[in-house]
Amino acid sequence: MVKVYSIPNCPWCEKVKKYLKLKNVAYEEFNVEDSDEARDELYKISGDQIVPVTTIDGKNYVVSFDKAKLDALLGL
Amino acid sequence: MGVYDFKVKTNRGEEKDLADYKGKVLLIVNTASKCGFTPQYAELQELYMKYKEKGLTILGFPSNQFAEQEPGSNEEIQEFCRVNYGVTFPLFAKEDVRGTNAQPLFKYLVGRKGFTGFDEAHPKAKGLMDALKKKFPEYLEGDSIKWNFTKFLINRQGEVVGRYEPTTTPASMAGDIEKLL
Repeated sequence: MVKVYSIPNCPWCEKVKKYLKLKNVAYEEFNVEDSDEARDELYKISGDQIVPVTTIDGKNYVVSFDKAKLDALLGL
Repeated sequence: MGVYDFKVKTNRGEEKDLADYKGKVLLIVNTASKCGFTPQYAELQELYMKYKEKGLTILGFPSNQFAEQEPGSNEEIQEFCRVNYGVTFPLFAKEDVRGTNAQPLFKYLVGRKGFTGFDEAHPKAKGLMDALKKKFPEYLEGDSIKWNFTKFLINRQGEVVGRYEPTTTPASMAGDIEKLL
């Protein structure tokens, strides 16, 4: 399952989610402002506190809304 | 009526009594977008790390009343957002800090310390004035909050002892803070 780490009112998070919907990619969203657990996970993945971060395996990830990198990550 | 009489809402919707901060030196700041280029966050965080053991607390109050960015920094907007703005001091719910719907705390603060002008030596002062004149001329009237990162310094007795406009960098306030600690 694709995971998207995000916070509310974040335009780039919205773009990522919109793009995944457009491409019919099912994803699970984690609001790291509400969940300390999700924030810790995010930190483990990227070593930083910036969003959006998109990942499948928790190892390879894409920061921000970068179409080319998202396509590569998701095999689109 | 003093600072400790106010109740505010945290960024998770819980009520917080400012009386809980009695005896601390407080720096109350209206903050900006977590998604733009906002160097004052980093400086505020530095102040907080440097002085929190000595009794400083910074309270951040985000609002989206100021076009969500710093004037003159469009070209530097980052394409990501920072969780909690990259800071570890307390942040409160996003609410108005000026106008009729301003939260009572800010109505009180501007009543205690009025607007005395921007520091024109600051590199962004001119850009800020121009942006205000063009987009929000009414903001320039009276003592209201003019822009993001207006800072109010409160001493250990709860008295509002200073107001610093967005054109004063947090780093340059270190001396004034030290005097109160």
